[in-house]
Amino acid sequence: MNRSMNMVEKILARKSGQKSVTPGDVVLTDIDLMLMHDLSANFVMKVFENEMEGATIADPSKLVFAFDHNFAPATRDAAEALAAVRRFTAKHKVKNLFDSGCGSIHHVVMEAGLVTPGMIVVGCDSHTPIYGALGAFSTGIGNNSMASLGFTQNKGWFKVPETIKIHFHGTAMKAVQPRDISQFLVGKLGEDGAIYKALEYAGPYIESLDVNDRALFPLQAIDVGGKCGFVNPDEKTWRHVQQLLGSRPGVPPFELFSNDADCRYADIVDIDVSRIEPQVACPPTVGNVHPIDAAVGTPINVAEAGGSTGGRLSDIRTLARCFASRRVHAGVRLQVVPASRDIYLAALKEGLFETLHIAGANIFPPSAGSNQAFNMGALAEDEVMISTQARNFPGRNGHPKARHFLASALSVAASALTGKITDPRTLEER
Amino acid sequence: MSQTIAEKILAAKAGVDRVTPGQIVDAYPDLVMSHTATWRSVSVMKKIGAKRLYDPDRLAIVLDHISPAKTEKYAADQQTSRNFAREYGIEKFYDVDAGIAHLVLMEHGHVKPGDLIVGTDSHCTIYGALGALGSGIGYTEVASVWVTGKLWMKVPTTIKLTLGGRFAGGVSAKDLMLHLIGTLGADGCGYKSVEFYGSAMPQMSISERMTMANLAMEMGSKCVFIPPDEKTSEWLLPRLKDPASYKPVLADKDAVYEQSIDVDLTRLTPMIACPHQVENTKPVTEVMGTRIDQAFLGSCANGKYEDLVVAADILTGRKIDPRVRLIVTPGSKEIMLEAMRTGVLATLIESGALVTNPGCGACAGDGGTMADGEVSLSTANRNFVGRMGSNKSSIYLSSPATVAASALKGAIADPREFY
Amino acid sequence: MQDTISGRIYKFGDNVNSDIIIAGRYLIYIDPVKLAEHAFEMLGDGFPAKLRSFDILVAGRNFGCGSAREQASTAIQGLGIKAVVAASFARTFYRNAINDGLPIFECPAVYDAVSEGDEISIDLAGGLISHAGNDYEFARIPESVAKILALGGLANYLKSTLETDSAPR
Repeated sequence: MNRSMNMVEKILARKSGQKSVTPGDVVLTDIDLMLMHDLSANFVMKVFENEMEGATIADPSKLVFAFDHNFAPATRDAAEALAAVRRFTAKHKVKNLFDSGCGSIHHVVMEAGLVTPGMIVVGCDSHTPIYGALGAFSTGIGNNSMASLGFTQNKGWFKVPETIKIHFHGTAMKAVQPRDISQFLVGKLGEDGAIYKALEYAGPYIESLDVNDRALFPLQAIDVGGKCGFVNPDEKTWRHVQQLLGSRPGVPPFELFSNDADCRYADIVDIDVSRIEPQVACPPTVGNVHPIDAAVGTPINVAEAGGSTGGRLSDIRTLARCFASRRVHAGVRLQVVPASRDIYLAALKEGLFETLHIAGANIFPPSAGSNQAFNMGALAEDEVMISTQARNFPGRNGHPKARHFLASALSVAASALTGKITDPRTLEER
Repeated sequence: MSQTIAEKILAAKAGVDRVTPGQIVDAYPDLVMSHTATWRSVSVMKKIGAKRLYDPDRLAIVLDHISPAKTEKYAADQQTSRNFAREYGIEKFYDVDAGIAHLVLMEHGHVKPGDLIVGTDSHCTIYGALGALGSGIGYTEVASVWVTGKLWMKVPTTIKLTLGGRFAGGVSAKDLMLHLIGTLGADGCGYKSVEFYGSAMPQMSISERMTMANLAMEMGSKCVFIPPDEKTSEWLLPRLKDPASYKPVLADKDAVYEQSIDVDLTRLTPMIACPHQVENTKPVTEVMGTRIDQAFLGSCANGKYEDLVVAADILTGRKIDPRVRLIVTPGSKEIMLEAMRTGVLATLIESGALVTNPGCGACAGDGGTMADGEVSLSTANRNFVGRMGSNKSSIYLSSPATVAASALKGAIADPREFY
Repeated sequence: MQDTISGRIYKFGDNVNSDIIIAGRYLIYIDPVKLAEHAFEMLGDGFPAKLRSFDILVAGRNFGCGSAREQASTAIQGLGIKAVVAASFARTFYRNAINDGLPIFECPAVYDAVSEGDEISIDLAGGLISHAGNDYEFARIPESVAKILALGGLANYLKSTLETDSAPR
């Protein structure tokens, strides 16, 4: 009799041609999609071209390149790097090249309907686990693995991870967003709390969220050292995927794997979300999570909602609601970065950008925004930023002494209104 | 009597009755502007040990060239500028979200006919679109004007340019200026003032006049004037804090001009400035088919709302060539807002363009950098080697219509087929 | 300021623009030493070093055209260049050179006469440039402006006037 498996184990089993797998097994699987953005692409290409002469790409349709950190390259080096990727994709007939201005890689990939449940998706980006919200097994891998086994054979090897299940229940307080809950978890488990493990985000609270909000959880799996994260697929997952696939032609048939009823976990963590306050990750690291009280009152210079972690239509709506008939605080530069071209157009259509523009916000092209300050987001020594970004390490956004706090879109909005880090619960209801 | 516009303005600002070309006067500018370079003038002020400004109200600061900061140094320099503005109570301070200095200052009513305006940017000539004398200077001299209130200026001779006829469909002010720069040369109006007249002028929109006054710099002009008329007052009066301050300065009927040049707009065709000089102009028909990698719609020359509309009209319902990156940078917040409201922004994005935040953008090398061998077609005003990245890349300059048409084709194209 | 400036010349053509002299990405510097590392870099990687072995630049028409960037003259000074002679100067470069204390001389005849590596000598008081036994007159900078140059630039000039203003009466 086959052992009970969860979604991740089932996918790994199926893709390695086995009936079942057990945590600890090392398996060689097919890979369905390989993602690289404009920072990792060149490293992978270098390995492929310099160390694997004569090799060919087994299936160019499985490669995806997206330029998201550079929406308009600021330096000659950056321009050369992008030009090199364009040449590579032309030479190897890779069609999935999303050039500057398409958006943040993961949103672009999802909106293009490239990911279906049951897939194994790998990326040279630590936030690749996001696709666990769509019923896929997705994780970050290194340049070598991508270029060698990945490109040439569409294969990868993985150690089957143990799984920790986080059971979220209760109703979140007013002004507490899914990002706060996800950050709370990071703070609770710690940056080494789930090393090499799979995290399953479960429970009535997770089930109540739409797929876009669920995605925030596997997105932060890396922050606790996790290999991947997922939400057990349900009706919502199915409908969301159908919507993403839309009228895309030639979608290969897919299978929705879900947990067996009695699958086992290395650990189960119970979280009552009703007691969680708005959270903030304080400098110098993503794991330095505290209730926002710890930072309230800190004057800020820059506020940003954008990229894969905060540039969704729901986030822009959050900001627009806050700033209808209000102005951004005089000393604050509020930066809004939609996560994709479609989101930009939708925000225009709904009048959200007009509202924010009039309020004093600055609207940027679809991209990763201030992530690593390629096109924007460099701070001076004494400056402070609050954003929905994924990382706040020193030096990542300009001067190493600049301070960067990570929070929900609502907390970012509240802070941009007052000019200081603000608990969104104190904001007047809109 | 018999004074040109430049002579009248310089005489007034020097506190004398009249001046003659060649004469050096100490003139007191009404406005001294500085942009992202402000921190340099601040450091000069520190270096000379000056603490007081002649008149804080005459300063304008707009952080437009590198907006927003992408390195720690830019961020620190911008902080220096902000702190200076705060310390001295500079009201006319506009941060990295405002847009291009020249457009922002005109939109906010800080420029009026008869003003003398100097600043850390050669395209200060653009203020001539509103009948002001605008001229670029260096950051040390800006600091000097901050502190002393004045600077020496040599009274220029004036060239009279008379425009007749009308533009054919697809031809615009940018093409006129490229034609003039190509004909007269990069120093064709060196040290001189230029005044525009003729039957074609009343129809010229304020936006087109800005393009004209902007590009006049590329033929070496010290300053440029489009004499104020109804269009000027209609555009400017609602923006002025004190409408009574609107007092156009016009040349005397018997003003003496060094040279008179006539241009028949009807005979003009779309023009391109080829690498690597602005005066290296050719009709678009001679370079059609040149492949481009990137197209840029923006800059103080052509980043105005009307320019975006011209491009959007051509791009409506169409998609740009997939090999072309079309970067659109609205010239200011006001321009971007109008483009949002009228659907122009959506049209541009739907065609495949990337719309950035307002500012100088790729013109000054802020984004849109090119790799070796790449080619850009740009609506900006300079195509010097390496300005947009690699010194092995090329920049062609053109009008917004030509940029739009070319982005569609993937190669330099004649916009007249869309008219 | 000295009575004569002399040395070996490097010759440029017409319309040498400010982007060539110093690219926009280096405007984050105002220090002549840092700027000199990148001066004329657009013409080729070895250029900044090459120009250091010359003393005077001689150029055609419209030298320094384009942007109002003051760093164009600062960068040239950083290279150790003692003076620039040109058939004509763009007006912003002209002003900035004076304000930076970089001696400039307008003299089309010298541009026509010289070749790279030639020696020339500029007699400031006499208003003449000597080359290969010939003397050429350069256009005089107006007296009121020349004193800025004589004091080594506008910052020095200002400092001295401010000190005078605040000196006890």
